[in-house]
Amino acid sequence: MLKLNVLELEKSEYTGGKSSLCPGCGHDQISNNIIQAAWENGIPPEKVAKMSGIGCSSKTPAYFLGKSHGFNTVHGRMPSVTTGANLVNKGLSFLAVSGDGDTASIGIGQFVHAIRRNLDMVYIVENNGVYGLTKGQYSATVEKGSKKKKGVANQQAPIDLCAMAINLGCSFVARSFSGSKKQLTALIRAAMSHRGMAFIDVISPCVTFANNDESYKSYNYVKANDEVLHILDYISHFSPIEEVEVPEGEYQEVSLFDGSTLRLETLAADHDYTDAVSALSAIHQSEKAERHVTGLLYYDDNVPTATDTLGLSETPLVELSEDLLRPSPDSLEKVNSGFRS
Amino acid sequence: MVMHKTQSHRRYLASSRFVRVLGTKRAMEKIVNDFVINVATANGTGSQSSNLIILHSMFEMGVPVSGKNLFPSNISGLPTWFIIRASDRGYQAPGDGTNIQILMNKDTWIKDLEGLEPGTIVIYNEDVKMPVERDDCVLLGMPMTKMARKINPKLGRLIANMYYVGAVAHLLGVEEDAIEKAVKAQFKGKEKAVELNIQAISEGREYANENWDFDCQFIVESRDKDPDTFLIEGNEAIALGSIYGGISMLSWYPITPSSSLAESVINWLPELRSDGDGGSTCAVIQAEDELAAAGMVLGAGWAGGRGMTCTSGPGISLMSEFIGLFYFSEVPGVIWDVNRVGPSTGLPTRTQQGDLSMLYEASHGDTQHIVLIPGTVDECFEFGWRVFDFAERFQTMVFGFNDLDLGMNRWKTSGFTYPDSPMDRGKVVRSQEEMDSIPEYGRYRDVDGDGIAYRTLPGSGLDPILYRGTGHDEDGVYSEDPQVYHDAMARLKRKIDGAREHLPAPVIREEEKKDLGVIFYGSMENSIVEIDDMLEESGLSVSTCRVRALPLHSGVEDFVRRHDRTIVLEINRDGQLFGIIRKEFPAELIPKIHSVSYSDGMPPRARVYSDMILEVLEGL
Repeated sequence: MLKLNVLELEKSEYTGGKSSLCPGCGHDQISNNIIQAAWENGIPPEKVAKMSGIGCSSKTPAYFLGKSHGFNTVHGRMPSVTTGANLVNKGLSFLAVSGDGDTASIGIGQFVHAIRRNLDMVYIVENNGVYGLTKGQYSATVEKGSKKKKGVANQQAPIDLCAMAINLGCSFVARSFSGSKKQLTALIRAAMSHRGMAFIDVISPCVTFANNDESYKSYNYVKANDEVLHILDYISHFSPIEEVEVPEGEYQEVSLFDGSTLRLETLAADHDYTDAVSALSAIHQSEKAERHVTGLLYYDDNVPTATDTLGLSETPLVELSEDLLRPSPDSLEKVNSGFRS
Repeated sequence: MVMHKTQSHRRYLASSRFVRVLGTKRAMEKIVNDFVINVATANGTGSQSSNLIILHSMFEMGVPVSGKNLFPSNISGLPTWFIIRASDRGYQAPGDGTNIQILMNKDTWIKDLEGLEPGTIVIYNEDVKMPVERDDCVLLGMPMTKMARKINPKLGRLIANMYYVGAVAHLLGVEEDAIEKAVKAQFKGKEKAVELNIQAISEGREYANENWDFDCQFIVESRDKDPDTFLIEGNEAIALGSIYGGISMLSWYPITPSSSLAESVINWLPELRSDGDGGSTCAVIQAEDELAAAGMVLGAGWAGGRGMTCTSGPGISLMSEFIGLFYFSEVPGVIWDVNRVGPSTGLPTRTQQGDLSMLYEASHGDTQHIVLIPGTVDECFEFGWRVFDFAERFQTMVFGFNDLDLGMNRWKTSGFTYPDSPMDRGKVVRSQEEMDSIPEYGRYRDVDGDGIAYRTLPGSGLDPILYRGTGHDEDGVYSEDPQVYHDAMARLKRKIDGAREHLPAPVIREEEKKDLGVIFYGSMENSIVEIDDMLEESGLSVSTCRVRALPLHSGVEDFVRRHDRTIVLEINRDGQLFGIIRKEFPAELIPKIHSVSYSDGMPPRARVYSDMILEVLEGL
């Protein structure tokens, strides 16, 4: 018998079309983790809006959650389209996928402002350090000294999207690796349970243009240099007992908006995810050591979202009837007579 | 809409009055309600209040009056001019010359003075201490700053402007009641300011009366004022229109001359669009740039809301990529362009109709957009709400096209008319029953034969698809098949073409004798009556046709057919509407259509355009 989730849906209800990315692409693993996370969390597929920009990563919404509406928008401008949709329908769950080119270069302005507004969305960057669809140019997240398959090593300083997000006060910041199934699924599940901007930077090797060992974002390099902050377990609010066992060592629990919990089992040095300075320090130290720090870097559940601050109607605006959207004839008479006096 | 001009239009001519009055000093032919005042001041000195008080006080007396603010791209210090024209004939263009010049600004003093025609009345602030060497003009000085400082030393510079209001009121005979009403309206609720300014105006009036031995030939005379009328800026009229059109998301990025449109929406929302529990039924967001503003409108339209942004030409350039996506993915949205002189910063505070062809075909690849073009503040309101219906009906981005002249100057209305039809939300499938009733539903399948397909909304669970700019078939599935792409583009063409007869028809004022037809649009409406009269002085019989939307209604082509010759009259350099007409109209009509196009940043002066038309006609 097939396994069903809390909505009594099979996992196949969360799958999408066949991927047209290169065989072995890290992005396809992330799509699988998204499917797994959405299914396990029991999210109604029709309430999800899949958003993306342009690039290899941004094609992936075609490959998961086929029962959800989605919008593959323009290059770097997915956040603004998401903003407009969110303002008129805050009842939707926005799940966005972007890439390092789409977010860290052409779209960096919109990325910054979506964070600043604490837009209620999950924002995943599938980060491989190269522009894949245009055949392997460096992106702005590639590390200094990292070298793709062809050409010379990159000499420019990278943009670290997690550090940037933390500096901007993003309410949920995490980094993961497309090869770390358990960690990534737990982080996506937690991001889906968060209210506000949940940003996950996922290192996702480009098997065609940058999977050579001199590339800091290749499978071999990341596996050897992944500095995992903690083991993550997601405990859902609807079945808190079944999912995990209490670990023997030290752990912290992060309470999420929908009542679920993210359990962090400390591995090495303590990491205080509520402290931006500590999070930035972890990022910079690992960068210095030419390593990748992964896990929940920063979390703050006390930031109002974009719709909170606008004083909007409780009802999503798209559900309002015409009598609320169009003021009465009397009101126009009042407007006119106000000008006349 | 065809109106025969003989009754409606000519009455302006008949009402022009030249009255003989016996003055105390000598007999003088008085010119009633027919003059131009030019006020030269520096930006940021509070002169806008004084100018509006002159304008509104005459308006209160029922005098047909219009005002043009010619301001620089600057907050304080640079020169600014305000032109007030009174005309019983209803002329609203700036006029050929100046009858009364007010000089307050040292920087433009000499040049302003040099440019005046002999006989011009010059009212000047003596305290500026500039030479006034024009023996052929009437020179009337007043120590405005000194007098103002006596009332209030701190605010002297601002209040000095009120003295020329008093001077003008004295010369023209503007009633004290009317002045008082205008001051109260200008400084609503600020009693101290009302008192102070009325005192200054009265002192100015008294000074002129006591010190100037001059009998002004220009006077104002009360007319029966329609109590329903008031003056309002086009931008505020659009803002109100959009609120009555059910706008649910406004995204905007500040740019002159469109900012006041967004700010008007913001000002009116609390009163007009509260849900009863203190929540707003419209979201407003100041975007990080125009690209984001357009993206937000796209997102709102896709999710089923009524999204809008407003900008000017530079913003349209930035929005262009999204505009193409609106067109191809077929998402409704509204963008208002309040045109200023381009390119880039151009003359950011001057008016022009230079964006029309850009709007019509904005973005990459094959596109064509619906453009609504109001010519009056009443139409600003009407198109302000109707534009959402067109956007949702035709599932596309629709432009409203306004300009600085109509948008930021004040024009007369008798009050706005409530929408005469319920909102048209277009072809949206909202339930499974509705879905089942559509044979062969597909997001991009033309089941009704009008080029418009049905759509479903995110959150509905009905036929979810991934919207995109890449090729898609009739079911919304990714496709790069040549025939599929070709057919999709042909349907889009059919869809927008199908809008022609549903969009606002041209307003036609037609003569029986079809010598000449003049096609024009937008704010040229405010100068066309005067241009028409000037042309008819040469014996021509002139009909006019005001285009109110693109793509063009068939009424425009019919108008061309009925007339011997046609002029397309525009406020830009190259004749952009003329270009569209030349491309779209049958070849046999083209030889009798001619372009007259001129732009210098100024609101259209009737004489400039009528002379150019006559020149073109002579050359034929």
